[in-house]
Amino acid sequence: MTVAEETSPASPRTPSPLLTFWRTFKRNRMALVGLGMLALIVLLAVFAPQVAPYDVTRAVDVTIGDIYQPPSGTHWLGTDDAGKDVLSNFFFGARVSLIVGFFAAFISVVIGGVMGIVAGFYGGRVENILMRFTDIMLVIPDLPLMVVIVALTKPNLINIIFVIGLLGWTTTARIVRSQTLAVKSRKFVLRARAIGAGNGHIILHHILPLVMPLLVVNAILVISLAILNESALSFIGLGDPTALSWGQMLNYAFGRGAMSAGAGWALVVPGLGIVWVVLSLTLLGHGLEQVLNPRLDTHHLMPGRPAVQGEAGAPAVGPEGAPVMLDVQNVSIHYFSDGKSPARAIENVSFRLRAGELMGLVGESGCGKTTLMLALLRLLPAAGQIVNGRVLFGGRDLTALGEAELADVRWKGVSIIFQGAMNALNPVRTVGDQIAEAILCHDPSYRSRRAGRDPRLDRRVAELLDLVGIAKDRKECFPHQYSGGMRQRAMIAMALACNPQVVIADEPTTALDVMIQAQVLELLDNLRRRLGLSIIFVTHDLGVVAEMCDSVLVMYGGVTAEYADVDTIYNSPRHPYTRELLKAFPDLSHPEKRLASIPGYPPRLDSLPPGCRFAPRCPQAFERCRAEQPVLHELNGGHFITCHLIETDRKRRSKDRQTLSF
Amino acid sequence: MKRTQYLLKRLGWSVFTIAFVLVLNFFLFRVLPGDPARAGVHDPRLKQEAVEAIRVRFGLDKPVINCFESLNPVRFGSCDVNPLETQFFIYVRNLFKGDLGISYHTNRPVAEILAERLWNTILLIGLGQILSIFLGVALGIFAAWKARTAIDYGALLTSLLAWSLPTFWLGIILLFWGSAHGLPIAGKATPGTSSWPLMQQWGDVLRHMLMPTLTYTIVYLGEYTLIMRSSLLDVLAEDYILTAKAKGLNTFQILKDHALKNAMLPLVTVIAINLGFTVAGVLQIEAVFSWPGLGGAIYESVLRRDYPILQGAFLLIAVAVILANLIADLTYSYLDPRVQSE
Amino acid sequence: MTTPEYFLEVHELKKYFQAGRPGIFSRRTRRVHAIDGVDLCLERGETIALVGESGCGKSTLALTLMGLEKPTAGRIIFEAEEITHADERTRKALRQRIQMVFQDPYESLNPTQTIGEIVAEPLVVHGLAREGGERQGRVVRALEDAGLKPAADYLHRYPHQLSGGQRQRVVIASALVLEPHLLIADEPVSMLDVSIRAEILNLLAELRRTRQISIIFITHDLGTVGYFADRVAVMYLGRIVEVGRTKEVLKNPQHPYTKALLSVIPVPNPRLRRERVILQGETPNPIDLPGGCRFHPRCPVAEERCQQDEPPRVTAAPLHHAACWLVSGKKP
Repeated sequence: MTVAEETSPASPRTPSPLLTFWRTFKRNRMALVGLGMLALIVLLAVFAPQVAPYDVTRAVDVTIGDIYQPPSGTHWLGTDDAGKDVLSNFFFGARVSLIVGFFAAFISVVIGGVMGIVAGFYGGRVENILMRFTDIMLVIPDLPLMVVIVALTKPNLINIIFVIGLLGWTTTARIVRSQTLAVKSRKFVLRARAIGAGNGHIILHHILPLVMPLLVVNAILVISLAILNESALSFIGLGDPTALSWGQMLNYAFGRGAMSAGAGWALVVPGLGIVWVVLSLTLLGHGLEQVLNPRLDTHHLMPGRPAVQGEAGAPAVGPEGAPVMLDVQNVSIHYFSDGKSPARAIENVSFRLRAGELMGLVGESGCGKTTLMLALLRLLPAAGQIVNGRVLFGGRDLTALGEAELADVRWKGVSIIFQGAMNALNPVRTVGDQIAEAILCHDPSYRSRRAGRDPRLDRRVAELLDLVGIAKDRKECFPHQYSGGMRQRAMIAMALACNPQVVIADEPTTALDVMIQAQVLELLDNLRRRLGLSIIFVTHDLGVVAEMCDSVLVMYGGVTAEYADVDTIYNSPRHPYTRELLKAFPDLSHPEKRLASIPGYPPRLDSLPPGCRFAPRCPQAFERCRAEQPVLHELNGGHFITCHLIETDRKRRSKDRQTLSF
Repeated sequence: MKRTQYLLKRLGWSVFTIAFVLVLNFFLFRVLPGDPARAGVHDPRLKQEAVEAIRVRFGLDKPVINCFESLNPVRFGSCDVNPLETQFFIYVRNLFKGDLGISYHTNRPVAEILAERLWNTILLIGLGQILSIFLGVALGIFAAWKARTAIDYGALLTSLLAWSLPTFWLGIILLFWGSAHGLPIAGKATPGTSSWPLMQQWGDVLRHMLMPTLTYTIVYLGEYTLIMRSSLLDVLAEDYILTAKAKGLNTFQILKDHALKNAMLPLVTVIAINLGFTVAGVLQIEAVFSWPGLGGAIYESVLRRDYPILQGAFLLIAVAVILANLIADLTYSYLDPRVQSE
Repeated sequence: MTTPEYFLEVHELKKYFQAGRPGIFSRRTRRVHAIDGVDLCLERGETIALVGESGCGKSTLALTLMGLEKPTAGRIIFEAEEITHADERTRKALRQRIQMVFQDPYESLNPTQTIGEIVAEPLVVHGLAREGGERQGRVVRALEDAGLKPAADYLHRYPHQLSGGQRQRVVIASALVLEPHLLIADEPVSMLDVSIRAEILNLLAELRRTRQISIIFITHDLGTVGYFADRVAVMYLGRIVEVGRTKEVLKNPQHPYTKALLSVIPVPNPRLRRERVILQGETPNPIDLPGGCRFHPRCPVAEERCQQDEPPRVTAAPLHHAACWLVSGKKP
């Protein structure tokens, strides 16, 4: 079956989640090693009677000379306090430890799972009672409680299993509950209700499948905890005297003079058994978690890849005469990942931003807009690398700067308004504090010599907040106390803190309502006029930028589709993609017109078409588009376009001219 | 305003939990079989007078609880008795007087024995906790910062291994190793040192603490490293870290001002939740090293079946953990501004 | 009392939520006025657009119509049947006739189910089309009606293998499979790229034409409603402030709120830069409603009486009503 899949990628059958899971699992070394270690010990335990050199379950006559014999040919790992073979004890002890671990964990996981799901799903009073009870059980130290209960009852295996199981469910209940809550709040549960599904159906088909992975990971950890608890109980002397678990072996050896007899083997071997099993479970659990929740992969402080400078030569558009603030020349960016050829995220993008200019950067999601903007300030994630091009700002090439020089340009020269202001602001620091931090970072004169803050700093923060229309007394508030629109304003105030010349606004209004969006746009436009800022406005919505931009760069699949001044883009676009985008825009003046849409989807960066990246969706594509990548052409007066159609047009025109001249 | 409310709520909750533990502690020792006092009552060999004497001595002649007819439809307990004359009330009253009963073994008041030992346990936990948190946090930060390098994988594997060690077994191994290197391995002080100068006495105690504390530190170091690492990795992938970087802050400033506080938040909760498990570890360490703390008391009383001490020690440990949890909760509310607005 | 020509009637519908959890110590309960007296009628086969900013109650209204929230007061009559307080069984039967499309296509599909399972789920839940072949046929038909052709290509895929637009089509298909009479679409395109929005809007318009489904289309963007809604209702703070035929409302808006919303719709033409009415502030908290007209604190043309008295709903033109003191017209 796998063969069929690999040979026919176009087949509509896709691998089941289990198969996909196994494929990722196989690649996780930690999980694989854990599984192997666990399998080995489970096999040894199951086949203990066959593999053990001695049958330790039968009573045999022991003489003093047999006790604590060091490892030898007859007893590979020596003998214990009763003169029995330690290796054989070890195999049989594995049975007891594993049985207790598995069964106790089973009880815990069932109780915890049911409580968590019931509490999370039904909520209200049921949840209150169950979770209060869980909280109580969670704070009561469990080993002492186990000790008390086992000490008061008979220490036999069944009792121990039940005591460990009945006291070990609290973390499971908490984890399952919070996962259930998270799943329950997701829209597909609401959708299931909307189609008329009852609680049973929803729990079985929608909650359980999404809680299960977490429950499995948790169950593995609960097993290891149960095994540790059993061994601790046995060691304290509360184990089942008839069942020789590893803990019990240690108890006997420690209590009966192994130490003074120097019989290290009797102490080390059973302990290593416990470590082996617990470590295998921990590795497996940890690996599984990574497989199921693959998020902890990269972070923003990992060292980035060095930029590679390359040949320059950039087109220029925008208001004539104004000085160029930011000159981006032939920037290409690749993403690298293990074992794959690099993804060409950005190829040869150039633009020139002049003083006071507002440039719109437009394209669908996933076409590389944010990547390009992050690259300007060298903020790309660790997998991304600038492989060609230059970014000239204030006479310096940003791609050639070191970290310290970059830190100087960041925010003071070029600042960024990020997309989701909720996530872009630190939740545990006040808004005012975060704005002040930016100022302090770049202007040492604000640093107060005496303890306490420079009053000028507070004034500056208040001034910035006032600039974006936030009352200054709100500066002591935390981001979660702001509304969405206010957070975006605060983000703008922060971006202006160090009087930057260039501000990059990365989809600052995407998640906002139309009215708030209009407010933010108006604010940005006003600020630009008052402070003479140059702004790059990133958006997927052509309509948003039409009213305030000077120039527009339309990107598609990481390349410049069309770049021109705003009037040209909207009134005489040449690239089919720009035209299609414009047609997709609802026009209030012609509501009866049918909306056009662009069929298909932007290309995936790891499987780019060989020719023009837009060719598969282009209504005017011809053979050449599918085979050959078009290059950037300049039309009259700063109108740039990457499309084969231009050449065809030009040829036709020059042919026309030729025929005319003849 | 909201903060006070939160504080009161947590305080009330802790009081309720302590009350629950009191009740649990009372019933455990009356419902489950095993207490020699009651076992003695049922011993057929004893004469009627002797049985009566035992009953009176341990207060078993009194009704267990009042049934509180109006609240209790199943009429559990004895009705028509003075609630002040029930075993439960006497138990609670004695608790408030600080009376935890008399040890079967030494005939000394349990409260007195435990009071001596409480400090030893606090000393051990305190030192071990500080060391393991410090080292664990530092190692976790380092691993997360150097994510996906050999340092990170090394730290990860080491902590997983440390986590997998059974506390008592690690104790035994260190005990073995320590005794081979001439370190004191049992008790809190060398016998006969009470006449020594104070500084020397302290030095002696510290030498005795070395191995137990090392055991404790290794066992919990792994867990704190793991939590700090994953929590910091999460935080470092957040957008506001990118904002901080875009602002021009250097790596050190970002770690210090933006990442650490946020990443420590989950750790505070874990430390609180862990206190229960910590006690489990201390119990084992004290048993191995004959450290005269509460855990040692539990170990000894299990061997001697000295139930009053067991009961008292459990109660004391539970209350201490609950209070420590309360402190952790309050710390959390202080650290995370989002808590108060919930 | 019931006028039979209407397909759906909503009378004075109210839905209040309690603000925060009632504590042990605090007895006072504050109420969020999510919907506060909504009147609405819908004819068979008609499409109405509900427009408003977030927090105006439009999504709550959708959930209340679906029976996923219990109304505090008012009546809902659907196909000449009072369903305001329908019991579980009636409600379940009703779900076959009223279906809903949710806002976020990334969130509204269970990642562990295949597309085939998702679309068949409503049939399973209602015990319809029990025979394998028949069920498969209905699933395929629904998928193809939603524009996922050929359906066989999609049946065994998982949501994460589809793009946003395709997922939204799956959501629509799973609503269509029950052959509902009324479809409530809650911001079905707001999470999608502009380039993909059009195809979903066209799909809804087509469904309405071919299947005679009535649609309640909820959106915050007046710009998209012109394409297929017969009527528009503008909501503000739990009330409908203006309702009328789409063309009429777009050409001749009466309420200052509608005018403002219309003025901020982006126009994709830099030559048509125009004066925009940008309302300051945000929709007030629906816990503490302003007295008088609830729009007056943000209204650019508010007068004194707007602060005192609530404006009545007046008829500006046939079938075009607005609730504003400044609109002249006769009371209905």
